Amino acid sequence: MKITCEEIDHLAELSNFSLSDAEKKSLGQDLENIIGYISQLNELDTKGVEPTYQVFEMENVWRDDEILEQDASTDQLIALAPAEKDHQIKVPKVL
Amino acid sequence: MQIATKEITAESLVRAALDKAEEYKDYNIFTSLDKDGALKKAKIIDEKIKNGEEVGKLAGVPFAIKDNFLSPVGNTTASSKILEPLKSPITATSVKKLEDEGAIIIGRTNLDSFAHGSSTENSYFGPTLNSHDKTRVAGGSSGGSAVAVALGIVPFATGTDTGGSIRQPASFNGVYGFKPTYGTISRYGVVAMASSTDCIGFFANSAEDIDLLMSITSGRDPKDMTTLPDYYNIETGKSSDIKTIGIIKDFNNDSVAPEIREALKKKIEELKSAGHKIIEFDMPMLKYALAVYYIVVPAEISSNLSRHDGVRYGYRSSEAKDLDEVYGKSRSDGFMPENKRRIMIGNFVLSSGFYDAYYLKAQQARTLIIKEYENAFSKCDFILTPVAPNPAFKLGEKTNDPVAMYLEDVMSVPLNLAGVPGLAIPAGETKDGLSLGLQLVGPRRSDRELLRFASNIAKKEGK
Amino acid sequence: MKYNITIGIECHVQLATKTKLFSEVDNDARDKDPNTCVSPVDYALPGMLPRLNREAIKLAIRAGKAMNAKINSYSRFDRKHYYYPDLPKGYQISQFYHPIIGKGFITLPDGTKVRIEHAHMEEDAGKLNHYDTYSLVDLNRAGTPLIEIVSMPDIHSAKQAHDYCKELWRAMTYAGVTIGDLFNGNMRFDVNISLAPEGAKELGKRAEIKNLNSFRSVERAVEYEYERQSKLLDKGEPVRQETRGWNDATGKTTFQRSKEEAQDYRYMPEPDIPPVKLSEEFISEEMAKVPLLPQDYREKFSGSLPADTLEVLLDYQPLMEKLSEVKDIKRIANWFASVLLAEEKSYEMLNDLPSAEQLNELAEMTEKQELSSTGAKEVFLKFFDPQMGKKSARDIAKELNVIQENDTGALEAIVDQVLADRACAQAIADFKAGSEKVIGFLVGQVMKASQGKANPGAAQQILRQKLQ
Repeated sequence: MKITCEEIDHLAELSNFSLSDAEKKSLGQDLENIIGYISQLNELDTKGVEPTYQVFEMENVWRDDEILEQDASTDQLIALAPAEKDHQIKVPKVL
Repeated sequence: MQIATKEITAESLVRAALDKAEEYKDYNIFTSLDKDGALKKAKIIDEKIKNGEEVGKLAGVPFAIKDNFLSPVGNTTASSKILEPLKSPITATSVKKLEDEGAIIIGRTNLDSFAHGSSTENSYFGPTLNSHDKTRVAGGSSGGSAVAVALGIVPFATGTDTGGSIRQPASFNGVYGFKPTYGTISRYGVVAMASSTDCIGFFANSAEDIDLLMSITSGRDPKDMTTLPDYYNIETGKSSDIKTIGIIKDFNNDSVAPEIREALKKKIEELKSAGHKIIEFDMPMLKYALAVYYIVVPAEISSNLSRHDGVRYGYRSSEAKDLDEVYGKSRSDGFMPENKRRIMIGNFVLSSGFYDAYYLKAQQARTLIIKEYENAFSKCDFILTPVAPNPAFKLGEKTNDPVAMYLEDVMSVPLNLAGVPGLAIPAGETKDGLSLGLQLVGPRRSDRELLRFASNIAKKEGK
Repeated sequence: MKYNITIGIECHVQLATKTKLFSEVDNDARDKDPNTCVSPVDYALPGMLPRLNREAIKLAIRAGKAMNAKINSYSRFDRKHYYYPDLPKGYQISQFYHPIIGKGFITLPDGTKVRIEHAHMEEDAGKLNHYDTYSLVDLNRAGTPLIEIVSMPDIHSAKQAHDYCKELWRAMTYAGVTIGDLFNGNMRFDVNISLAPEGAKELGKRAEIKNLNSFRSVERAVEYEYERQSKLLDKGEPVRQETRGWNDATGKTTFQRSKEEAQDYRYMPEPDIPPVKLSEEFISEEMAKVPLLPQDYREKFSGSLPADTLEVLLDYQPLMEKLSEVKDIKRIANWFASVLLAEEKSYEMLNDLPSAEQLNELAEMTEKQELSSTGAKEVFLKFFDPQMGKKSARDIAKELNVIQENDTGALEAIVDQVLADRACAQAIADFKAGSEKVIGFLVGQVMKASQGKANPGAAQQILRQKLQ
């Protein structure tokens, strides 16, 4: 399967990467090879087979609706932010 | 495993580990060491022993954690630039359970960035060298932990195994490496790679040591909804010592190095002579496992790694002028090329128009793989296979060919897709002194049985 | 040209749980400082995993009952991917493939049934606060449980759109699913609007107006869109499929993004949360907790109350409950509508309504004309008085001295007294000369002499008899 420049740009956008042209070129080649490899699944007949998203047949794992102390305080969390103001996370203006 | 006593103090155990870490510095095993912290903790334990107080089952035992486990000890970098600044306020459940028993972290070990890789060459901090041959790779992604145990720096280390990341480096370095049944050990506090296949496990010098570590760390965790109710510590009654071992015919082909096939043959003979039964069968679905793996896992990676965006923690590009650049530049600078490949593949297989053909199809194929394991385990107790097709390869040999690198995982990934446990056991060395490994695979929840079987056969061999 | 309008509405409802959907921190962030209700899970620290709140599942079941819907015995969560600073994980945990609530319907006051396509659970995002050169992220709301209710395109006017949203709000608050504080965004509406020429078989291209948070703004946005789209169509210009925002101040919708820019959300089954499988017992036990719904009351009271009074009172579930307990529904409903709801503090008063006994006695006394309508209102209001509120209607009426004198003998004596009063002589003469209006003056004198206790109707009757 051939991966076009537009498709690489689209995948970069979905991935939120800003890539140089050189990177796009080398990643494009790699992706083409990898997609070529995984496409061998096409030969497999899976009609009517239920997919497995989780390997265990667990269900209804849930908790009570009670407030509990957390493993880190909000101060500890906000302290991790690269930029902070007034106990909030600061980012460049969102338009 | 040596536990601290009045005579052999925790401090002496920790000092010895730290000295060795220093001695093997050129292997690039650790991303950070916590000398002062470890010694301080050792002294507290020694004080307790002196006072006759209760100390845990792992009192004073130094250990290393793969650098994708959260702990306030050092920064949790996942060997990446994007998490390099992260000082976690939180401790992973598994690490906490080990520390509660008195074990002492001496440092964090190197990995392929975000555990994406099979050689530890994809680390932001450079590759870790093989314990048997410095020109070769440590295996991966838990390369640092494997080498730390192989060189005797620590008696055990933690690892994560999403598609072989414990078993393959264990076999490349001649130590035991265990990937439990999916859901046995909590994933809480471990940097996620692929949620449905990630497993927490260990490197150690014996199956008994791993058994002890499993009994401490396994069990249901309210902070991880996918953990299984505790089964590991529940006695199930004694089963027969004589086991039926399955051999997969397809894995015994020309693409597997002759010395590995030789090691497998030798092990089969040993098992036979110990009275175990050997049967052979085909598992034709397994040849699709790698393709399934490289669809399902990148999909989950692309999702799980979305949170690393330069906004709330970790690295934010100083050049970013607007929000798009905070995302784009931080992620582009912060991830290694292999991270980017997997994220993009994941986004490809999940994107509109391709989901059914790739992602859904792979998850259907996964069902067939699971059925094949169930069928196999109706005929045998355990399966014995190589861990990887080749012994440790040369540094740089496969870095430019992602697909060749992925093929290293061909025998290890099926277990993760099916959620079954696997133990890498040492199986001698090549004539050039490279270590060889084999893996024992069991049905789900057979973990303890599997470890005890491995321990029995090691004893028989006088090891 | 005339156009038919077709409207479908998606409504986000914040659930009234104590804690968030996937973490054990306070879910009610109203009046709280930024980032004080945030767990490491909500912050999306690496290695953090969701921990599902069972109460949210239960409230979703109740919501399903309130929209006459089937609850799916199998449901699970999916990840919806997009990047925004208020979405810490880079994905929202939602339900795409297997939602918990299946098909249902909501009945509007005009009898129209609006079908519900499905409703699913998901987590809310945080909030961005914008400043001149930067924005600040507050994650207090991140992880609040929501259900998103997706209607079929069964709505065909601005009024119906308004009524649908209001009816949903009533149903959800009656069922205890949400606090329903619209000002704080507890319910938010996305409205899809399309126009097609009368008689056309196919629907037109639709515009989606996002994030409306009042019934009035829903109505106004629909009216505006009708104008905008019909003008385009009149000119022969195409309506583009796009997302638009609503500006309450200008009363206009504005372009946000086109369909071509629509995001690829890459939905993926959530591998960190096992599926939810609900037994019949679990579902019915929860459904049994849902009290009577607006439509139930509408059917129940349609014979005893005028429709407009009923629709006013239906906004207040406590009033409906109270009306169900009392005898003289019509009279008491009137006090609720014209006295209680006219009070400035009516919202607080609703929390502490008088008992059915108090109301019944008050209604009886009024019926027997022991109280004038003014006197009855006075007593009714005293039911909400912290000092007098617990007393019976009669005790309060006595204390207020508003019980009417209905005893004919006593009244006659008072009338005689008034007629004998010299000051009334002129009036009596005028009445006898045929001036009807002076009767009012005379009744007033009787009232005065009785210190307001006389029943004015009875007083007039006796006056007329005596003056014949």
